[in-house]
Amino acid sequence: MAIRKTSTSNILNTVHRDASAGSTKIADIPDTPTIGTATAGAESATITYTVANTGGIGTTFTALSNPGSITGTGSSPITVSGLTAATAYTFTVKSGNTTGDSPYSSASNSITALAGGAFESIATVTVGSGGTSTITFSSIPATYKHLQIRALARTDRAGNYSSNMNLQFNTDTANNYADHDINGNGSTAQAESGTTKNNIAMNRITGASSGSDIFGVVVADILDYTNTNKYKTVRWFGGFDNNSTQGEIYFGSGLWQSTSAVSTITLQSVSGAVNFTQYSSFALYGIKGA
Amino acid sequence: MAAGSTYTPIATTTLSGVTSYTFSSISGSYTDLILIGNLIQSSSAANSYIQVGNGSVDTGSNYSQTILYGNGSSTVSTRQSGQTAWYADYAAAPGTGSDYNTAIWQIQNYSNSNVYKSILMRVGKATNGTDAMVGLWRSVSAINTIKLFSSNNLTGTLTLYGIAAA
Repeated sequence: MAIRKTSTSNILNTVHRDASAGSTKIADIPDTPTIGTATAGAESATITYTVANTGGIGTTFTALSNPGSITGTGSSPITVSGLTAATAYTFTVKSGNTTGDSPYSSASNSITALAGGAFESIATVTVGSGGTSTITFSSIPATYKHLQIRALARTDRAGNYSSNMNLQFNTDTANNYADHDINGNGSTAQAESGTTKNNIAMNRITGASSGSDIFGVVVADILDYTNTNKYKTVRWFGGFDNNSTQGEIYFGSGLWQSTSAVSTITLQSVSGAVNFTQYSSFALYGIKGA
Repeated sequence: MAAGSTYTPIATTTLSGVTSYTFSSISGSYTDLILIGNLIQSSSAANSYIQVGNGSVDTGSNYSQTILYGNGSSTVSTRQSGQTAWYADYAAAPGTGSDYNTAIWQIQNYSNSNVYKSILMRVGKATNGTDAMVGLWRSVSAINTIKLFSSNNLTGTLTLYGIAAA
């Protein structure tokens, strides 16, 4: 059943003029959606609903938890995040438009929110059309046990199929880093190392001589990054294949000779002398410990 | 700040002597996909392979790969381009009996329509050695289909995860 608002303020806010008739109308308030099924997720739930085919057109849909009155919005299924694990919830759904909101639906089935996972997204950087020489993750929360960087990256390094990926911590540019890796380029397998360096050189990604659609990949783990009794250790796996004449695959480990907790991570290529190109993306994740 | 838990299970299957398995209609709502396998096969000496695509898998010569592997006494790197599939393993192909291999395949930015798609693979089997591979699928199409196949029957488990970035 449609419910029509009649207050002056709502009319002033929502009226539109019917030019042919010269009359003023307000949109009907949507009728209540029909609740569907609630499904438990990790400290979250998804709730399905069916839009009412009577009443005004709904432009927003909101799911409300009980207990907690935590809301989520969107189209079906709506995700409600921020629930407490091992707690039972039901959900109701309402629809709204510029005139007003429908009443909430009847309650959904009861679900018990699951425990959250140990792997959380912290931040992402995607490079725009101008490119950038430096990616920085700063103010990294100290609430995890380990960190993981996942990157898909390419540089504009002229005349080169590939370009290295440099890593620094806490803006330390002194010679406090070391690295070792084993790598293969499709014909030769070899081991390499460097000590007393001003960065950790992880695997190589693509440069300007590789196609503009071709990016290198890096997955790097920074272990026990807040422990102030240890130097910090990194391990990585990555490489690139350009389907032409070049491909390189790497396993490596690196050391930062500092007991400081890692709070800032800087990524560059050729020590910042070249740019990461558009669509390069860098994501930082936190891994919880028990 | 943290956007919440991720590394979300999408699908798990148990293979019981099949030559292929396909994950289809994969949601595009994640950033990366990770497929973990623990497999044996019905007879020895057959590699398994991976194809990807949108709607159906691409069987064209659009795959390339660079591989590094070691067998306990030597380390070798090899490379193939213009292939019709990626190796899902190399030296560490699934064994027979209880000789399972363990594999992790990662496809990054799998739904980004501006880049060719890259895969990272790590496979190990105690009786043969360890493989690492980086591969390229020469297409900007979003991936929503992944097929694992072999000329032998495969038995074991496959689990597909999605990782969403903030």
